[in-house]
Amino acid sequence: MVVGTATRGCQVAVIGAGPGGYLAAIRLAQIGKDVLLIEENDSLGGICLNEGCIPSKALIHATDFLEEARSAGQMGLSFEKVTLDIGKLVKWKDRIVRQLTGGVRFLVTKNGGEVLKGRARFVSERRLEVVTDSGPVLVEFEQAVIATGSRQMELPGFDFDGNVVMGAREALSPANVPERLVIIGGGYIGLEMGSMYRRLGSIVDLVEVSDTLLPFHDSEVRTAIAQRMRKIGVTLHLGHSAIRLEKGSPSRVIIRDNSGGESTLETDRILVSIGRKPLSSGIGVESIGVEMDSGGFIVVNDRMETNIPGIYALGDVVGGPLLAHKAYREAKVAADVIGGNPAAFDNVVIPAVVYTDPELAWAGLTETEAVEAGHKIVTGVFPFRASGRAMTLSAVEGFVKTIADADSKLILGVVIMGRDAGELISEAALAIEMGAFLDDLAGTIHPHPTMSEGLLESVEAALGEAVHVLNRDQSSA
Amino acid sequence: MAFEFRLPDVGEGIHEAVLVKWMVAEGDVVHEDQPFVAVETDKAIVELPSPVAGTVSILHFKPGELVHVGDVMISFATKGEKITSPAPPKNKVKQVEKSDETTKPSINTGRASSVKPLATPHTRALARRLGVDLTLVLPSGKGGRITDSDVEAFAKNESGRREEPAQPVAASRVKVVEPAFPIADTGSEPVMAGTIQDTVFGSVERVKISRLRQVIARNMTASKHTLAHVTHVDEADVTDMAKLYRKVKDQVETSHGIRFTIMPFFVKAAVAGMKKFPICNASFDDETQELVLKKYYNIGFAADTPDGLVVPVIHNADRKDMIRIAGEIADLALRARDRKLKVEEMQGAGLTITNVGPMGGLFATPVIPLPQLVILGMHAMKDRPVVKDGQIVIRKMMNLSVTFDHRMIDGMVAAHFLREVIDLVENPEMLMLRLV
Repeated sequence: MVVGTATRGCQVAVIGAGPGGYLAAIRLAQIGKDVLLIEENDSLGGICLNEGCIPSKALIHATDFLEEARSAGQMGLSFEKVTLDIGKLVKWKDRIVRQLTGGVRFLVTKNGGEVLKGRARFVSERRLEVVTDSGPVLVEFEQAVIATGSRQMELPGFDFDGNVVMGAREALSPANVPERLVIIGGGYIGLEMGSMYRRLGSIVDLVEVSDTLLPFHDSEVRTAIAQRMRKIGVTLHLGHSAIRLEKGSPSRVIIRDNSGGESTLETDRILVSIGRKPLSSGIGVESIGVEMDSGGFIVVNDRMETNIPGIYALGDVVGGPLLAHKAYREAKVAADVIGGNPAAFDNVVIPAVVYTDPELAWAGLTETEAVEAGHKIVTGVFPFRASGRAMTLSAVEGFVKTIADADSKLILGVVIMGRDAGELISEAALAIEMGAFLDDLAGTIHPHPTMSEGLLESVEAALGEAVHVLNRDQSSA
Repeated sequence: MAFEFRLPDVGEGIHEAVLVKWMVAEGDVVHEDQPFVAVETDKAIVELPSPVAGTVSILHFKPGELVHVGDVMISFATKGEKITSPAPPKNKVKQVEKSDETTKPSINTGRASSVKPLATPHTRALARRLGVDLTLVLPSGKGGRITDSDVEAFAKNESGRREEPAQPVAASRVKVVEPAFPIADTGSEPVMAGTIQDTVFGSVERVKISRLRQVIARNMTASKHTLAHVTHVDEADVTDMAKLYRKVKDQVETSHGIRFTIMPFFVKAAVAGMKKFPICNASFDDETQELVLKKYYNIGFAADTPDGLVVPVIHNADRKDMIRIAGEIADLALRARDRKLKVEEMQGAGLTITNVGPMGGLFATPVIPLPQLVILGMHAMKDRPVVKDGQIVIRKMMNLSVTFDHRMIDGMVAAHFLREVIDLVENPEMLMLRLV
């Protein structure tokens, strides 16, 4: 503390204005708490709004559109020439981001919350020091919510330089489309950026250390996504690790397979997307004794309480799936708990979406997880190539797979690969969260013709009552 | 190190309590096990002992406020002393978390967990609001799904208990103590402090009702909204019974040291009636559309307390003699007045008797306590002129009423039941002969 430090108080200090932080701040303000939302960046909304979910989806949608225009010939549509102005596309995306982040600020302040720009650090269990543009401010609080999020992990030898070696942020604001791109890491971001850049015209090499993409998924999903990536022209280097970078023109990425064999990929740019780590250091949580696990994630209970009374944490910084919608839910729980209402994060499913082409979305258990959890399972698969709606959309790629308990018929998990899978998965998430059985879903009328019939058909297939595909025992007979 | 004390689940399915009084003030030093607060639940007034030694830093509630299970009631500064038993709920949560992955939202694929009780988010929220642990609730829904009514029933402690909670926090440490309100001799409403408000018509006083009164209100409303109440009244000539009663009263009271009333005669007569008409010893399971005919004979009786009516139960009245029943009535009524009854002493009745007689009047139409179907009313005993064998004679007469749930019981059955009871109280020798 320095002489001249300003001191102020608030009821709840929320640190970090990403999805979890801003939502907690809005909720708390709505229930009448005096809330101070502290964010070190000018723009609110965190990674999600500024350099994650939203900008990536804007660009991906544009490239989807590009692809559809290119392949519309079979429908008798032809365009003179479809061209891309990458600068204009990035500007359009930036406008969306500005609108949304401005909207967040509007909602926080109109609900009665206050935003303080600065970097916060705990100096005691009830005080934060916030370094602002106009000097340090000492903030006294009754409760604090840590929602500092996560940052991308660095790969030794591949330091981000914003030019040759990009992170997700740079990849979403390219000045031009690189002729060749090497992506290191085949997780959600690697897959999404791989599909997107391929569409934009880059030659894409994707390097993944595992022998398979999305290793926690069942084999048919892993196979389908790998096939699809290859089909759109992404070269997969599975079971390879990137060991060295030689910058130049072109740059060279040296990769090594499991048996030690090395090969070289020539490229113009490199995207490193090997995962994220929690932003739990440098904010003084160690000094006040907040418990963290070995990965640096803050340990919380299902009420989002840390081990220090009055200090809560949520979002990426507490681990689990690093997803904005998980943080949203956790923020509502934390705000309820702080407001004195009984609440807990007791959700059965946290759905997830990967915006590949086509999208991949899932909710609940995979087949392997269901068996490990002790279920005797039954599954049903419906391929979109048998869907009338998919044909009219020229989107017959993918399938719906439903996993249920063989005895009780309780729905345990659903995976959808296909057009708008991210939109379709919510019905499955609701079904599982509500404890629906196969016949609950089978007995629900789904509008025709829609992609949502795919879920209905997969459920019927699991019941052995499929209509538009042959039932398993019949087809094997 | 600070320690927060949360209102524990005292293991009676109780999910909230009213803070009666603080026995400590902020800044006080308390030792472990020292009672620090008195709270009133649906059932009793209890004192809670401090699980730690330390200095009281914050009292989070004021007397008269409602506290839910899990709410932080008091914060202690414990000067780095090790927290001894019982484990604070917060630590408990964390232990569970470490041993059981499913309580932690950190599953990579957002997968469903099969060990969670099957309930919709709505039902789960309801359970949290009522302080109900879903893992203890017996599901009634399809495929083992826990419904809202399962949770509500569990909260009311009526049914649906899968097993006793493994460790009801501090249950054994809770002491039942004297009621906070002095017992008025007359049994009239206790003086309650309210707030005076001026209205256009003059000033009014707004008085918060007691927990017990809230429970009564809820139960009465539920009964009146659910059951089809019909009351049938008839008169009984209790001259012979009164004579017999006066003859034995002093003798019983001297030899057994109990207060002997006429109530046991009616309890026994009711049991005989219930044996003859099993539907008068039944409840109705709305969910399964089944009548639950009881093979035991438990009789509830309405007892006054300063805060309102409660209904203690004489269990297995068919197997007890009248003297023992009289003793139990006296004991239950006394402890009811002090709000010291255990939950199970107010449960399991097949029929209730209410003695309205002391208040005078001709008859009343009482409300049937759920989930029973019948309440028997005893009304004022009076000398009345009656025609007997063509002569006007003075007899001790008493009106008896049977209020029954007409959904389940037809008027004919109820009338026959009441006739059976009247026959026996009119002919006490027949009642004696039929005693087991």
